[in-house]
Amino acid sequence: MIHLALSLPSWQDEQPFLVTGLALGGVYALSGVGMIVLFRTTGVLNLSFGAVGAFGALISWQLITKSHMNQWLAYLVCVLFGGVITLAYGMVFGRSLSGRDPLVKTTATLGLTLILLGVMDLLWTSNGGASRSISLPTDNHGFTVGQIQVTTTDVIALAVGIVITVITTAFLRYSKLGTAMRAMANDREITATLGVPVRRVEASAWFGCGIVAGMSGILLADLVALDATTLTFLVISSLAAALIARLSSIWGTFIAAIVIGVVDAGVTPIASLTNYRDMTPFVLAAAALLFLNRRRVLSLARQEF
Amino acid sequence: VSTAELATETKPSSPSSSPRRVERGFYTRAVIIAVALLLVIIALPQILSLYYIDAMTQVAVYSVVALGLGVLVGRVGLISLGQAAVLAIGAWVAARLLFATSLPYEVVLLLSGIITMALGTLVGLPALRMRGLYLALITLMLAGAITVVLASLNFPNGGHGFSGYNGALLHIPPIRRPGIATTDPAYFRYSVIAAVIMFLIVLIHVRTKPGRAWAAIRQSEPAALAAGINTTLYKLWAFALASFVTGVAGGVYAGAVRYLYSIDFQTQDSITLLAVVLMGGAYSIWGAIVAGLFLQLLPAILNDVGVSPDWLVILFGIGVLQVLTTAPTGIVDQLPRDIARLVRFISGASRRSAANQGSAP
Repeated sequence: MIHLALSLPSWQDEQPFLVTGLALGGVYALSGVGMIVLFRTTGVLNLSFGAVGAFGALISWQLITKSHMNQWLAYLVCVLFGGVITLAYGMVFGRSLSGRDPLVKTTATLGLTLILLGVMDLLWTSNGGASRSISLPTDNHGFTVGQIQVTTTDVIALAVGIVITVITTAFLRYSKLGTAMRAMANDREITATLGVPVRRVEASAWFGCGIVAGMSGILLADLVALDATTLTFLVISSLAAALIARLSSIWGTFIAAIVIGVVDAGVTPIASLTNYRDMTPFVLAAAALLFLNRRRVLSLARQEF
Repeated sequence: VSTAELATETKPSSPSSSPRRVERGFYTRAVIIAVALLLVIIALPQILSLYYIDAMTQVAVYSVVALGLGVLVGRVGLISLGQAAVLAIGAWVAARLLFATSLPYEVVLLLSGIITMALGTLVGLPALRMRGLYLALITLMLAGAITVVLASLNFPNGGHGFSGYNGALLHIPPIRRPGIATTDPAYFRYSVIAAVIMFLIVLIHVRTKPGRAWAAIRQSEPAALAAGINTTLYKLWAFALASFVTGVAGGVYAGAVRYLYSIDFQTQDSITLLAVVLMGGAYSIWGAIVAGLFLQLLPAILNDVGVSPDWLVILFGIGVLQVLTTAPTGIVDQLPRDIARLVRFISGASRRSAANQGSAP
């Protein structure tokens, strides 16, 4: 039962969760920005993002524990795997579905999600107690602020989120490829008429999205858990951030992702809410969507994005 | 009187819209379906082992769930990624009522349908302002939220209070079944009859005014509005109908499994459900039955022969991609056409070879 009288935890108790929240928020921002760039360029909301990251992280785990590969090399394999599989999907299905409604394109990525989930369950059967884990070497380094332990991984997670947001903004604004992507977000046909190689631009967006998926896969496997289903559906948190930003604003996504991360981790010490904390992204996104759409009655002809 | 209202009043009179006219072959088809149904209800439990009877009960339940999703996806063009959560709500309500009251099972089914319908419509009301992608995503979010709530609220197990859950209970009583259907074969028959009633309700909707309104909305919402269709009402109606049948299915599900656990309802199930409905054919009533068979009979068979059900998840993933890229109408429509093409190909080939043989000296 939900007890409405909240007993708020002390600031002391909150601090460690704040660190976790910021780190998680950073990774959500990373994934959210990756998804938005692809969405703006191709009209595909890549729901297989989490599954791709999970698959990559499991490959890294396999390489590190079974083949004793160098850790960083294994992570590189994960990131590249993400890029290659996403690019391959984009080349085959992104192309054949390019003229369709964004809803159809997005639903199709659920197909890839299911395929990856099935293969992951086949290859890495979840056999009870023997749980897998990835721990970055940076987990053991860190410093203390006041009395809170901050690991380098936490810092990296937040930093990666900020860096990717800044770089993406600059990239879209100043680079030639970025300008082409923005043009395609407006109108694919006209962009093609102007001589932009739309296929190549799309391919780079797919590849970039996959790289980001691989990166967040590793980070989330370290911060949360190395579990296929968990990682696959963590995508919903970054999706919520992207949705709050109406699938268009990069900085909006970043802020929303940080808020989701902090609120999610921040309610952990509140006894009456801790069981419901995983609802944070859903509740925030649903509330934001309903609020943003409150004036809309009917959408005409063209889709609204 | 607004122009929209005027437009509704002046209906175009076409010969096909006269109420008494029945499609040709309707009665033959109805008789064939009735005979097939009687065979399913009477003969199937005699032939099958208990294991497969249970699986077929689940097929009946999930056909109805697929039917509800099919109304949303195929008829109105609204994609919902949260139907498994709606099923969970229906099962929760039914279990709560079955433990708390001694109402007849049919009344409980009706009530769980109505309560789920009310909740579904409540969700649908604000969601109506969104469409396409946004609606799909918000239903995914809500499904995730409901999964979290269920995981911490738990399903009723005969305890007291609102949630009806008592974690300390040593001997958990099973959820009761209707007095006329306590055994598994009897409950299978019961669930098939319940499913048939749900199919009939949906069929009536599809064949009458709401069905035509939905078709118009699916084609173009502005055009439907211009033609004087109250699009808000009919979209909400679709939500209500889908939630109602899914709620009833949840009630049937509760009695079929007898013990409910929140771990049985995952966010992934909603996605698999959509995948299977698209594969089966969202535009056809029969697609729902195919979807139910895919979702429940195939895993049972695979489990029986010792193949990992993960292959099925992979198959569903490939199926979604195949359906969306090449065959939007699903297996129900595609398979007969493919078979016809195959037959034509074979007969053509045999004719050709016969001709070759004839010409050969």
